[in-house]
Amino acid sequence: MAVTEAPSTAVAPGPERGRLLDWLTTTDHKKIGLLYLISSFSFFVVGGIFALLMRTELARPGTQIFHPHAYNQLFTLHGTLMIFLVIFPLLAGFGNYFVPLQIGALDMAFPRINALSFWLLPVGGLTILSGLFAKGGAAAAGWTGYPPLSEQLGTGQDLWIAGLIIVGTASILGGINFIVTILRMRAPGMTMMRMPVFTWSILATSLLVILAAPVLTAGLIMLFADRRLGTVFFDPTQGGVVLLWQHVFWFFGHPEVYMLILGAWGIVTEIIAVFSGKPIFSYRGVVLSFLLITALSFSVWAHHMFATGAVELPFFSVTTELISVPTGVLFFIWLGTMWKGKLRFEPPMLFALGFIAMFLIGGINGVWAASPAMDFAIHDTYWVVAHLHYVLFGGTIFGVVAAMYYWFPKMTGRMLSRKLGIWQFWIQLIGFNLTFFPMHILGLRGMPRRIADYAPDRGWSFLNLVATVGAFIIAIAMILFFVNIFLTLRKPRTAPDDPWGANTLEWATSSPPPAHNFDRLPPIRSDRPVYDLRTAGGEGS
Amino acid sequence: MSPSVCPPRARRPAAALARVGLAVGASVAFSGCAQQGISIKSHDVHILYLVIMALAAPVVIGVYAALAWCIVRYRKRDDQPAPQTTGRGRSLAVFFAIPVVIIAILFPFGEATLLAVEQSEIPQVQIRVEGFQWEWTFLYLNEGIFVSGKTLVRPAVMVLPVDEPVQITLTSRDVIHSFFVPALLFKRDAIPGRTSSFQFTPSKLGTYQSQCAEFCGLYHSKMTFEVRVVSSADYQAWIAQQRQALNSITCSANGSDLSLVAHNISWNAFCLAVPAGTPFTLHITNQDNGIEHNFSIYDSFFEKKQYFTSPRITGVASETLTGPPLPPGHYYFQCDVHGPAMSGAFIVQ
Repeated sequence: MAVTEAPSTAVAPGPERGRLLDWLTTTDHKKIGLLYLISSFSFFVVGGIFALLMRTELARPGTQIFHPHAYNQLFTLHGTLMIFLVIFPLLAGFGNYFVPLQIGALDMAFPRINALSFWLLPVGGLTILSGLFAKGGAAAAGWTGYPPLSEQLGTGQDLWIAGLIIVGTASILGGINFIVTILRMRAPGMTMMRMPVFTWSILATSLLVILAAPVLTAGLIMLFADRRLGTVFFDPTQGGVVLLWQHVFWFFGHPEVYMLILGAWGIVTEIIAVFSGKPIFSYRGVVLSFLLITALSFSVWAHHMFATGAVELPFFSVTTELISVPTGVLFFIWLGTMWKGKLRFEPPMLFALGFIAMFLIGGINGVWAASPAMDFAIHDTYWVVAHLHYVLFGGTIFGVVAAMYYWFPKMTGRMLSRKLGIWQFWIQLIGFNLTFFPMHILGLRGMPRRIADYAPDRGWSFLNLVATVGAFIIAIAMILFFVNIFLTLRKPRTAPDDPWGANTLEWATSSPPPAHNFDRLPPIRSDRPVYDLRTAGGEGS
Repeated sequence: MSPSVCPPRARRPAAALARVGLAVGASVAFSGCAQQGISIKSHDVHILYLVIMALAAPVVIGVYAALAWCIVRYRKRDDQPAPQTTGRGRSLAVFFAIPVVIIAILFPFGEATLLAVEQSEIPQVQIRVEGFQWEWTFLYLNEGIFVSGKTLVRPAVMVLPVDEPVQITLTSRDVIHSFFVPALLFKRDAIPGRTSSFQFTPSKLGTYQSQCAEFCGLYHSKMTFEVRVVSSADYQAWIAQQRQALNSITCSANGSDLSLVAHNISWNAFCLAVPAGTPFTLHITNQDNGIEHNFSIYDSFFEKKQYFTSPRITGVASETLTGPPLPPGHYYFQCDVHGPAMSGAFIVQ
């Protein structure tokens, strides 16, 4: 069987370095990808502990542990960390590791900027967290930081602004890096329409980042200027407009949520195909959906502002409802991929199926909020908390866990324990639904968001208790996950190149790959080059 | 490639059935959870809720059923490769068409409900609602009275006559708040520098717990209020009672040297009195750490004519102000930051 020789791009090895220094100065996209994952999971533990603290407070009416001043910092930091320092960098981390591999490239287009993008992240995150030591405490205006409230608070709010500007800069640099890499560094034969759907999802995400993240940065600078430089952008007593912030923020904020899900869609689509033993039902449909969602995401922002009475309701309602069309198409494609397949229920597939089941609920419950008259009832209530967690946790986090089980052998040369994975799946699924499903009902019963406490006569007590129990069950699942990772890392590296019988180029090299990624690239004639290699001439199974 | 070990047979169908059962049960439970509310407009919103449920439930049940089917029916049982089929263009067209049809039903229905909710009538009761950190003031514009909540102490109560259209004009004195009455299935944001108007007609007697729904800082969770819907007769009686209470605030002048303390967003006196025709001095102590107050004198809470205003004082601090000589009369003083919630009668004798 003929194998195309990749052009010789081997890089001369550099001078010997100590291991720690090597990790601190590396520009290898694979190491940087791992650094992203380590940083993100660390912030995930911090943000998760904040969530457990909040749920402990809310389990029963009355203030048990946290005075509102502390509670308000908790939910602000929880949201900010999870969105900017956990979910987005997890997807960026997988992107960093696997996009060059999936397109047959040696590394990212700009390896040193790639390293900078990573290191800015913990700097930004720690800047935000350092607010806990500031006078007056950390930021406490929610992750959305609406003025005038965010102009009232102390230094912690400035540290929040600075941290987010740092993180935003990092992601813009990363977005440019991904776009150039994907457009310019694909191996011969790797046309755009043969790229893995995960790479497409990172391309779409990067387009969103470079268009939307600068808008947030601009808004944050305006907010800082109002707070410290005497400007009055958002000060209504001096001719400023309070709502300007919301328009600027949500023009970024809505594309932001698609930055938080597209990568997971890419991962899950690929995993479904591999573990059904079939090609993706409609590769073109997936690419088209990703691109339509990317474009449409800029047209819906004011659906976060329906209750202000200051935005054009029918326009934003129809655009919001329309964006569910390409999203719905993805579900049909996933089902079509499984149809008449040969399903294998390994942990990656379990979590991918969990993703489909949970993200469906998250997408559907958003439809109620898309209709303004209904939104007047459920906006800023626990219905929205349910919605955002079903899409971000039930969606992206399930997808990220699926990706970890799927790609762990490739990154580390070891297979995560299947048994622990199955236990984690069921505990996570049950805990997650126990926590967040009751929140739909709490929202319908009028429980607002972001409250440190509630009265015992509102009829919210029992469901809050249930949600807290669920949260601790999620914590058990997460502990199992980290135990699985730590135990597995101590095992010898025995994983084969392609443990799952997969399709895309990252499986055409060793587990883990050598520093230069590929010794030899297989011929690239379709969107499944490793499948083609495996099934040509009866090689392998 | 390592051979996959299939989990025991019993697990897969159980999982699949559990998913479908969950979806059906959830739909049933959901339908029972949404309340109808206490106005015609809220009933319309409730119907919209059910319509969306009727469109969404088949989607959820359908997808879950298809998932369950795949899990049970297409589990890998042998080493034969699966048919490597993909969808043709027609499949993709159908996939796009299905959600478009659903939205083609959803959007017009939602629009119709929105128009119903936005419909206006001739209001009988007109109330200006002001949110502030962290309570509410309700100014009844036709009746010339106001009620105010007291932060952490007493929620504001909005008494309304049943079956009369109410018009609310809403604003905030400081940060963004939100006027949220779950029983009306409605909320509107209170935004400083903007007023926003809406109407409703409560049609059921009762007391309805409500609270601020836009995060507004330290005591956001305590920014509650009540909507109390009573009979017409009880409403008139209540108005008369409020008017009487406001008019009966009186005190006597004891020299022209006054002192006033602000604590927990309240003054320590509801009545100040000075002799006519001479300037007066006012010692103000602001004991609210980090919170601004000031002192102004108007003709009434309608704030049509201002006689005096002081700069804002940030607590904890004290200031001595000198006020102008005033003709005899019954005036009104307030902290402009918090409005009628921090106000009283200023008598000049």
